[in-house]
Amino acid sequence: MKGPVILGGKDLEVEEMSPPAQERTLPHKWLPKEALPMYSGKKAEMYLFKTAEEKVRNHALSKVKEGLEVMGFLLGEVFTHQGVEYTVVRDVATTDLEATSVSVRFDPEGFEALFASLECARFRYVLVGWYHSHPGHGCFLSSTDISTQKGMFDRPYHTALVVDPVRKEMDAFCLSDGEVLRRKFLVYWDEFQNPYYGESVRPKKIRM
Amino acid sequence: MVVRVRVRNAETGATVDMELEMENTVEEIIEGVSAYWEKDPGAYVIRKGRRLLRGQQKVQELDIQSNEELELIPDPEGGKI
Repeated sequence: MKGPVILGGKDLEVEEMSPPAQERTLPHKWLPKEALPMYSGKKAEMYLFKTAEEKVRNHALSKVKEGLEVMGFLLGEVFTHQGVEYTVVRDVATTDLEATSVSVRFDPEGFEALFASLECARFRYVLVGWYHSHPGHGCFLSSTDISTQKGMFDRPYHTALVVDPVRKEMDAFCLSDGEVLRRKFLVYWDEFQNPYYGESVRPKKIRM
Repeated sequence: MVVRVRVRNAETGATVDMELEMENTVEEIIEGVSAYWEKDPGAYVIRKGRRLLRGQQKVQELDIQSNEELELIPDPEGGKI
């Protein structure tokens, strides 16, 4: 008997695509102060769909009282635009977790529920990153997080999204030549969705 | 008898085509693709649809159809420390 034989492989073909329109994007309202300077000029490298963002935030908030971390995958697509690679996170997936206030991973018994949510994705996703929470500890990548990022999410487009639901902070990170860098990301929404942090919409008075 | 499958790396969207013998195990499949993609085999699982394929299961037990796609999924760990 011989082992499995690999006959050949193929990499993902990255499409050229314009990112979400500027008028349908905003920086996240929970960005920590130290992240703000990079939001003045540089292009975003990750666009997080409003609904996915709500799922991440609500997941983290749901475990605040217990002080537990949460975690999940960022499901999205990779594109390029004018020579710049970026990702669009359209959804997230998670399952039952084994968590403490300082660690988190998937419950081994929860994989099939995780796979069920992956099966429900209505697009050919790539795991363009992962999210997890640091309740009360701020947003950064710990040595465990860096090890996960290096071992699993080591492509330039991979993002680690970290949320602190106690301090109300959310920030994104990536690796560049093994070094942790902050990543500029924007929340985007579809044309007919109101942004959750948008202004109220009042009917315009028509002057006769 | 051999069966040909495609394994998709969920982290990158890359795929490999593999030829499996009925006696091959899931662990061997993970080791094969992990070596190809230079990953730590211990940090990954494989799914077939909604099913988690267990390491010691043999191909003959998996009801794999020819040209079926399996997916390599990371098992990450996060933490403050």
